[in-house]
Amino acid sequence: MKRLGTVLAAATMVAMAALGLASCGGSGGKEGGTLTGTYASFPDYLDPALSYTQEGWTAMYDTYIPLLTYARANGKAGSEIVPGLAKSLPRISNGGKTYTLELRKGLKYSDGTPVKASDFTHAVERTIKLNSGGSPFYTAAIVGAEKFQETKSGGIPGIKTNDKTGEIVVELNRPRGTFTNELGMMFVAPVPAGTPMKNLSGDPPPATGPYEIVSSDPGRGWTYERNPQWEKNNAKLMPDLPSGHVDKIEITVVRNDSTQVNEVEQGSSDWMQALVPTDRYAEVKGKYEGTQFRVEPTISNYYFWMNTTRPPFDDLKVRQAVNYAVNRDALERIYAGSLKGIQQILPPGMPGYKKLELYPYDMAKAKKLIAEANPSDRDITVWTDDEPGQDEAGAYYQDVLKKLGFDAKLKVINADNYFTIIGNQTTPDLDTGWVDWFEDYPHPNDFFQPLLSGESILPTNNGNFAEIDDPALNAKIRKLGEEEFGPKQEAEYAALDREYMEQAPWAPYGTRTLSTFVSSAIDLDKVIFNPTFGHSLASFQFK
Amino acid sequence: MASESHPAPAAAAPTGRSPWRLALGRLRRNRVALAFLALFVLIALFVLAAPLWANHVAGTGPNTTHTLEKIEVDGEKREVVNREGKPIGPVWFGAGGRFFLGADGRLGRDEMVRLMYGGRTSLFISLVAAGLTTLLSIALGLLAGYYRGWTDSVISRAMDVIWAFPVLLLGIALGTALAVGGLQLGPISISGSSIWIPILIIGVVYTPYMARPLRGEVLALREKEFVEAAVAQGAGPLRVMLGELLPNLWSTIIVFFTLNIANNMLLEAALSFLGAGVQPPNSSWGTMISTGFDVISSEPLLSVLPGTMILLTVLSLNVFGDGLRDALDPKSKLRLEAHAGLAEPEGTPV
Repeated sequence: MKRLGTVLAAATMVAMAALGLASCGGSGGKEGGTLTGTYASFPDYLDPALSYTQEGWTAMYDTYIPLLTYARANGKAGSEIVPGLAKSLPRISNGGKTYTLELRKGLKYSDGTPVKASDFTHAVERTIKLNSGGSPFYTAAIVGAEKFQETKSGGIPGIKTNDKTGEIVVELNRPRGTFTNELGMMFVAPVPAGTPMKNLSGDPPPATGPYEIVSSDPGRGWTYERNPQWEKNNAKLMPDLPSGHVDKIEITVVRNDSTQVNEVEQGSSDWMQALVPTDRYAEVKGKYEGTQFRVEPTISNYYFWMNTTRPPFDDLKVRQAVNYAVNRDALERIYAGSLKGIQQILPPGMPGYKKLELYPYDMAKAKKLIAEANPSDRDITVWTDDEPGQDEAGAYYQDVLKKLGFDAKLKVINADNYFTIIGNQTTPDLDTGWVDWFEDYPHPNDFFQPLLSGESILPTNNGNFAEIDDPALNAKIRKLGEEEFGPKQEAEYAALDREYMEQAPWAPYGTRTLSTFVSSAIDLDKVIFNPTFGHSLASFQFK
Repeated sequence: MASESHPAPAAAAPTGRSPWRLALGRLRRNRVALAFLALFVLIALFVLAAPLWANHVAGTGPNTTHTLEKIEVDGEKREVVNREGKPIGPVWFGAGGRFFLGADGRLGRDEMVRLMYGGRTSLFISLVAAGLTTLLSIALGLLAGYYRGWTDSVISRAMDVIWAFPVLLLGIALGTALAVGGLQLGPISISGSSIWIPILIIGVVYTPYMARPLRGEVLALREKEFVEAAVAQGAGPLRVMLGELLPNLWSTIIVFFTLNIANNMLLEAALSFLGAGVQPPNSSWGTMISTGFDVISSEPLLSVLPGTMILLTVLSLNVFGDGLRDALDPKSKLRLEAHAGLAEPEGTPV
């Protein structure tokens, strides 16, 4: 019943937003004030071209608006793609190879610079030039983008823009069923033409959304204020997007999750972005559910990747053995009930999901496979980060590998830098480790192309940690990505899931629920948790 | 009968006691210092017995996980970690010594075994780092104090650089930097997760704190007549440093070494607590406090236990170290007490 109530509240919000009422702030509650929030670690980047974590996307959801964006709504309604800086969804022609969009006229960045159609080209070029983890979405798709990636000069001929009319035409190499979703990703949110081609996490570029980041101190925190151009120009032009309720938002990095809980309980902080830590989960849920606490389902996968290019994980039997040896029940307990065990690529809730159980826990079978493989290299480095849950999952995994006869060493890295380090191929000993993945958009391609396609192996900001590069499977990912999604494709994605799990590049172990925990001063019912972007800061309102 | 065949000495020659015997006598009379030495020995025995307890009582290693296991406590089956992720508390001998102090968290590792192994790690790091500090300090102190001039300048300025940074800050910076890539020293390669990393860091950052006073002592000693006599007899610099100066430094070195172990233990705990020392899943008392700190509200024992062990070890080393200093260098004590009007005859028990 509680979930039903939440969904109804969210549906009401969406309906109001559609009527343009939400942007007027006429839904009751207090307007203004300063929202204080905490993060457990600084996001990977505070730069739209570079960030590829939910923490980063949450931080920028209401700051950088792409041409298309996702509805500010909870649950499934939040998976709907809606126009952002573009007037409408793209017109697709030329057999699915040409996407035409029109920029809304009169938009301005927070520094007063007019938003131009060519800024979209700059955003795509910036993403590619900076070797962002999101660049494979565009290099593989857009005509000339691959060459631009190699030369880093000469522009991308597949993007044509007209600053006078605001028209943006994107030519693709081949049809791509997910490109509309990919236009809604943070990487290609327009930024002014002169934005430097470097990581701007310490001095984020001007905003188009209701809030701008006015100061950022990487590692410690950042602050938002209302975008002065939002009220003057952008709000009227994008009536479907909320204007936000609070005037200022101050985010501080507080490493200890338990301290974050205490601060929210005491009201010295209004919101914690991180999940309530596992040891406080039951207590907080019991005390505050419905008033200050809410469980948020996600479409996510937590898994251990195994580098298929390095011994001993270049041997299929070793990878399969690891899958048999990882006990998902133990990991459910390690995450104190906030994780549900899975053994496949696609998590429940994602189209194409069909339950797979190829590797039920069987230590004897695992040991037999290791004996058959008899790997000569048994020195393994296991990577994980230092956030609660992950550090213990890493220690558990190391123990499993030891039980299989490996000399496994655990390397725990600060969560601020974890993905940057393991995504950099010059980092030594990238053998195996923990990683999680939350959907970028509600399409199964999002769990294959960036994570398992050979095309996604990058020197920096790599997302294919297993470095699996199977030409036949790459071709299937590409082919399915080109097609319009339907029941046939859904079945083919389910089959692809099985094929990959037979190759066992990962040992997937669970899908996670997250949480919203706010102080008693915040109206919990108004808080929006988008399945892709997480919390919408514009939805927080004081009672 | 035999004694009668030897003539008795005309008069008994006065028997002199060496400074070491005098010091030992003074130390023996210092009951408090001896009591704390006994406490330290007990702690050392406790941690040295870790493999015995792990193999013959607990039947598990320090990093072995037992998340889904059930154990029989006084005839009743209990989960090591329950469904909400709460670990079992102390069961004492209810399960035959298994999980004597309960489990350490959701991984279900035996807390007692980790406490013992953690103590071994902490003590090992503290002792070896103190040894490293001592070796470096002796070498640098002797060279700087004996040669003076530019040798002294170079060594002293290098130590000033280290001294300029707060110990903890420097330790964290080095620990964090070395945790990812490890350390390559010529043909020697040290992995980032090796305990040799915190040993090296701690050993190096405390060197100026010991080398400086030693240099000062050497500067004073090298002007003494016995050094001049040795030089006049043709002794080379190495012989003077090792044969004449070093023996006169031992009492200072021993006191510094003892107190340095205690400081090292605190620094190791701080570095490990902050993630720049011993790397998980290996336990040290510092990492155990860090792990326990996350659940301090629900499982306070997990951080209180290693914290208490650190407290007792540091206290015992500090009190014993003070006693040792008083025994080896009674003048400094007398001077202090004379200033305070508390001078007592030498040898009065403290």
